[in-house]
Amino acid sequence: MGSTIQEGILWQSVLGEIELSISRASFVTWFKNTHLIRNKNGVIIIGVPNVFIKQQLERKFNPMILETLKKNGVENVEVEYKIQALDKEKTNQKEELIILSDQSSDRPKNKVSSLSHQYRQGLNEKYTFENFIVGAGNELAYAACQAIVANPGSKYNPLFLYGGVGIGKTHLIQAVGNEILNNNPDARIVYASTEQFVQEFVDALRFKKNTDFAGFYRGADVLIVDDVQFLAGKEKIQEEFFHTFNALHQANKQIIISSDKPPREIPTLEERLRSRFVWGMSIDMQNPDFETRCAIIQTKAESHGLELTSDVTEYLANYVQTNIRELEGALNQLLAFCEMRELEPTLDVTVSLLGSGKSRPKHISPRQIIEKTAKYFQVPMEDIMGPKRDKDIVVPRQIAMYILRSELHLSFPKIARELGRKDHTTAIHSIDKIEKESVIDNGVKTAIAKIKEKLYV
Amino acid sequence: MKIQVTQENLNKALGSVARVASSRNTLPILANVLIKTVGTRLSISATNLDIAVTHYIGSKVTSEGSITIPARLVQDFVSSLPSGIIELKLDEYKLHFSTGTYRSTINGISSEEFPVLPDIKDGKEWTIDSGLLKKKLQQVIIAASNDDTRPVLTGVYFHSSEGKLKIVATDSYRLAEAVVMDTKHDMNLLVPINATQELLRIVSDFEGEVRVTYDDQQVLFSVGDVELVARLIEGKYPNYESLIPKKFDTSAKLLKSELLNITKVSSLFARENAGSITLEVDDHDQTLNIHSIASQLGENIASTKGEIKGEGSITLNSRYLLDALHVMTGEDIVFSFNGKLEPSMLSNPKDKDYIHVIMPLKS
Repeated sequence: MGSTIQEGILWQSVLGEIELSISRASFVTWFKNTHLIRNKNGVIIIGVPNVFIKQQLERKFNPMILETLKKNGVENVEVEYKIQALDKEKTNQKEELIILSDQSSDRPKNKVSSLSHQYRQGLNEKYTFENFIVGAGNELAYAACQAIVANPGSKYNPLFLYGGVGIGKTHLIQAVGNEILNNNPDARIVYASTEQFVQEFVDALRFKKNTDFAGFYRGADVLIVDDVQFLAGKEKIQEEFFHTFNALHQANKQIIISSDKPPREIPTLEERLRSRFVWGMSIDMQNPDFETRCAIIQTKAESHGLELTSDVTEYLANYVQTNIRELEGALNQLLAFCEMRELEPTLDVTVSLLGSGKSRPKHISPRQIIEKTAKYFQVPMEDIMGPKRDKDIVVPRQIAMYILRSELHLSFPKIARELGRKDHTTAIHSIDKIEKESVIDNGVKTAIAKIKEKLYV
Repeated sequence: MKIQVTQENLNKALGSVARVASSRNTLPILANVLIKTVGTRLSISATNLDIAVTHYIGSKVTSEGSITIPARLVQDFVSSLPSGIIELKLDEYKLHFSTGTYRSTINGISSEEFPVLPDIKDGKEWTIDSGLLKKKLQQVIIAASNDDTRPVLTGVYFHSSEGKLKIVATDSYRLAEAVVMDTKHDMNLLVPINATQELLRIVSDFEGEVRVTYDDQQVLFSVGDVELVARLIEGKYPNYESLIPKKFDTSAKLLKSELLNITKVSSLFARENAGSITLEVDDHDQTLNIHSIASQLGENIASTKGEIKGEGSITLNSRYLLDALHVMTGEDIVFSFNGKLEPSMLSNPKDKDYIHVIMPLKS
């Protein structure tokens, strides 16, 4: 027997060849947990996990195994199969010593041991700075995050990011975590959604493992908490969060928080937390502007290996104006459609797929817009429709006109009629004025964004 | 292959076999059943590589052959056919069914691809009455564990001790032991829970002797025309006998139906509390009280009279108690325990062959 190959490697190379000649499922089912036990005096003993596999190898695969062994220079041997689990599984066979544990002491332990998860749990590696697209709406947030990566804990601590849904808050704060981890693989990064924080806190209380819980969060170098607005109304947890916050801040550990509203607008948030949230730096992330949306579309399309023409890009950027998640959705829809039908993503295809012209939602009536605007400014709707010319009525009225124009694309005379005005020039003037103001006046800008958000909920 | 079978027989065979075939397995052919002529009979088999079930039915074999076809499809199909003779004809890999006005073809996969089903060459053998096996299995398998992290506990343990065959299962929170019968064999079989569940289904509509053949790695149950082969779980079963209490400070002999009833009622109030109910025994007024609290909804105290010795209280999971009471026989039941932290035990005063041990919850 002229075997030049060592025992362990022999079986590995046999498996390697067999893997190529049978289907993946068959290989996994029949050969995965087999191993060579002995190769001596012309008898090779192969360990197999159970009797089904033993029978199958003996009756079906034996010729193939002999053939493959021959190719590897092992001839005139007999192969025997023996049921013997791999060493790894053997440890399970030790006699179970302690049984009949009482339930209450056993189960919670398992539960809470999940708290000792690694200090990087929750971070998704796909979120990086490289694939984050910077535009006018988020450049400040981006710069702040970069600064934090360079010097965690010293600048902008805590960093509080807020803004509407789907504009990249999670992406940005996860990117911070990933980047810090890249620079320093030992850093203890804790990324937790508020929901998770709450859940673990409740578990800790239930199983009286409060110290584990506190220890875990307070041992972090960087604490990232997403969607903190969900803390609203949970007093006990706010208190725990407050202490965690203080402990970390005291030790100059970086804290990053995101929310969909600024701290002062989160209802029932305790005052001491509110003031701490705005302590470091709070940044409003705005909806992406047109150019940013175009850039996002192009980058995404490229990552799918496609280049879109500029008219398609612009169309898409106009089609979805606020939410990047929806923007990606529309793009994915287009790409999938084109791939399936083997079409080029031209403007015609895009328009026919996504619907023509402006994305005018049919279900929104002019009255709804006026109502939401009135509600946002907390003025009676009749006043907006009525003759009053006080400043706190006029501005909402003008904003309502602006939104009627931008969202429903109504004509000026129609807009004037909707608001009880006789002259359409009033509408022209108002819309013009708001358009200009929305660029310089942040208040107007957020008001418009908020009202729009409410409309599309 | 060309054969004739009755719809009733084929339907029954598929009913006991097809459940084993699983489409979740990585190997697609395991979702198929193997149909094969064996002499003058037809065998129908399925396997999930843990267990294999084969059902033999009588048929008129004109020419021999074998094929595998999708289990779900053929089962649903045959069960909706009218009763009568079905003719099966194999044409390459297509199996043609014809009966009455139905003409159907099911595409199959070559039987060469189907796993070889294990057989036992020189195993030991014993027999047991199917009714007895059924009764004992039902009583025991409720206590087996589903938790794969402790494989040994996912088995039902058939073993001989002092000339008796015993069946045992435990999930480490409760334990059930049934003494089945006298035996001369010396055996230690750890049969996977899913195999015993399947076995229970098979024996439930069969009367007669069940033949059990086993060797070190596998066990074969022959139940009339059905054969079930299962791999045995490797490993040593815990020395459970030392855990069964021998003496009790407190015991209560009660009407089983009464205890079942008040436990059921109490469990309604224990839902949010992991089923925890507190049983309180008092020998002064000879009653057993069950107390359960649902902090939001209210609370419940139910009681029953009985023959009581000693006093004390213990907190149990009501689900475990209910499971045990459901499978126990006899009119009376003895519930005994030693303080709050020691295991409690249920037994039938007239039938010493079954005991059920439940660990308390720490309250």
